[in-house]
Amino acid sequence: MTPGGMARLVAADLRRHWRHFAMAAVGIVLGVAALAFFLALGLQVRRVLLEQVFPADRLEVAPRSADLDLLAIRLPLGRDALEADDLGRLAEIEGVLAVRPRMRLTVPALAVGGAAVFGAGLQSEVVADGIDPELLSGELGGAFREVSESFVERPCSRDGECGPDAYCAVSAGICRPYLPAVVSPQVVELYNGALRRAYRLPKLNPDAIAGLSFELIIGASSFAPSSTDPLRERVRLVGVSEWAIPLGLSLPLGEVRRANRRLDSPAAGERFHSAILEIASKDALPGVVAAVEASGLEVSDRGAGRAALLTAVITAALALVGVVLVAVSSAHIMHVLWLVVLVRRRELGVLRAVGARRRDIRALLVLEAAVVGAVAGLLGVVAALAAGAAADAFAGARFPDLPFKPDSFFAFEPALLAAVVALAVGACALGALAPARRAAAGDPADALAGR
Amino acid sequence: MTGVRKRYPGSGVEVLRGIDLEVAAGEFASVVGRSGSGKTTLLNLIGGLDTSFEGELEVGGGSLRGLPDAELAAYRNRKVGLVFQDSQLLDHLSCADNVALAAHFDRGGRGDRARLRRRADEVLEAVGLGGAAGRRASTLSGGERQRVALARALFLEPELLLCDEPTGNLDAETGAAVVDLIAGLHAAGRLTVVAATHDDAIAAAGSRVLELRDGVLHEAAREGR
Ligand SMILES: Nc1ncnc2c1ncn2[C@@H]1O[C@H](COP(=O)(O)OP(=O)(O)O)[C@@H](O)[C@H]1O
Ligand SMILES: [Mg+2]
Repeated sequence: MTPGGMARLVAADLRRHWRHFAMAAVGIVLGVAALAFFLALGLQVRRVLLEQVFPADRLEVAPRSADLDLLAIRLPLGRDALEADDLGRLAEIEGVLAVRPRMRLTVPALAVGGAAVFGAGLQSEVVADGIDPELLSGELGGAFREVSESFVERPCSRDGECGPDAYCAVSAGICRPYLPAVVSPQVVELYNGALRRAYRLPKLNPDAIAGLSFELIIGASSFAPSSTDPLRERVRLVGVSEWAIPLGLSLPLGEVRRANRRLDSPAAGERFHSAILEIASKDALPGVVAAVEASGLEVSDRGAGRAALLTAVITAALALVGVVLVAVSSAHIMHVLWLVVLVRRRELGVLRAVGARRRDIRALLVLEAAVVGAVAGLLGVVAALAAGAAADAFAGARFPDLPFKPDSFFAFEPALLAAVVALAVGACALGALAPARRAAAGDPADALAGR
Repeated sequence: MTGVRKRYPGSGVEVLRGIDLEVAAGEFASVVGRSGSGKTTLLNLIGGLDTSFEGELEVGGGSLRGLPDAELAAYRNRKVGLVFQDSQLLDHLSCADNVALAAHFDRGGRGDRARLRRRADEVLEAVGLGGAAGRRASTLSGGERQRVALARALFLEPELLLCDEPTGNLDAETGAAVVDLIAGLHAAGRLTVVAATHDDAIAAAGSRVLELRDGVLHEAAREGR
């Protein structure tokens, strides 16, 4: 069929059956409007959350967990480590200034000591990880750094002989450096809030924690088989940091790496359990989040990621309403077209008698439905824009100046609007397929006779 | 056509029971017969509107049997013009649009809109409806409708014109005018005409009269012209 002829026939048919089509299109208009409205709202809320409410220039990234919980046992199905090339890929994301990997201590460890503070010697299992000292250089200056590599050992007989950052390991008779460590505010809170009371220990002031030292036996445990040759280190707390492991002890990355290599396996010294990305600016954050998620990793930071996820879930739920409306309308279009095809049986027979192929008939009907979808989709978009403007005006007049109140609550992206119109067109064309096939079936002689 | 048989599904009787017919190019053959004798059935087969039959059916040297849809559509589009008893116009379109309908499906492509429009005026003129191009088909009288249908059939200059009781719904006078028109067109060109009718006037206009009786064609005695 010639394009011009097709256009003329489609236009004539739509004009003639516009009442039928208008009825079918109402649902499409509503569905598209709801879809565009909620998606634009969700998009904007997510943006505000990420860029204004939880502005961050750092982001923690972890492998996506796909664990399966079976009763009490968790089967780790996903990868649980980042390899070197994962880190390389993260570093290449636009807007990422630096990638700071962290590594878990993969062998058990025991903390022993504390008599000076607590008045009694304590012994506790500890969970530990290693973080890049660069990450804390801003907060703690140079106090949190790798010490073992550069330390020059020398003989001694007592602590005073080894300088301020080292102690005398009496059994070996040499000076050893204190391992600097940081704890999270949660650890301090947990201690002050619960443990302290239960064990009748003195309260700790977060500011006074620095300097506290104790012995850390890496590779030893009070209930698991211990390594034959555990590392005996002395740890000195240098501060409290948000970036420390939530319940445990964070050491400089190099120290944990060394311990894992020696006590676990060489491979354990190459596997990182997460990484912290330093971001150029908060504007780059959404793009970085998207790129991280696209590469199969997960943003596991506190707050922003979770809030963004929640928004996405709510948006999806509301958008579903729109999708269902569009789907129902597609069924409605199909129904209307069944009727139209029956009414127009003779006429379609005439078209075939003068030379229309079956596919011309099918194309004609699908195109008519698609045009209805496009018009309804555009009307729906206009309705959504109007509803959005009305909601913004209402919010502007009613709500006080909220701290994070944006200029508009809606992000009507052109791509979003184009996508919902395309959905409407697609839904209508899809609904037209079956009636169109039916209309083109059989011989023209039957159609002409009205059969 | 040789040995063409046709039985409608679900009906016991065979409507066409071995039709042997040869129509020469340029001939005007009339098919007469009682109502229900199978005239429409026969024309539908020749016109490529009905594809289920037995036997052999050739038009212009090509067989219609088992032709793919696209080729059959092209055959209906370019080779034959069809005029039905009840005109079968699209009422919501203008006369010009009705007449030019076939051009929409002419994949050879016959030029631009202006040219199609000129051709529509030309064929409408030929059937005596020169001024009616812009009128909606629904506003036409019976005789005018049949003439527009004739103009539509002629639009792409077919070799074969099939008319199924073209005057069946018209009064004698209007009918006679349509018959004259068909006879005139036949006389003017190389058009082959097969017309089903029980209108004596058409039968008389034809160069050959065939009677369809009991599913078989009988050559009727010429009644002179
Ligand atoms: N689609 C059909 N199904 C069953 N029988 C049909 C069908 N069309 C026509 N017939 C029957 O075939 C016979 C011939 O019909 P038709 O070709 O229309 O005759 P005519 O045009 O000579 O009046 C009639 O008996 C009619 O009832
Ligand atoms: Mg008939």
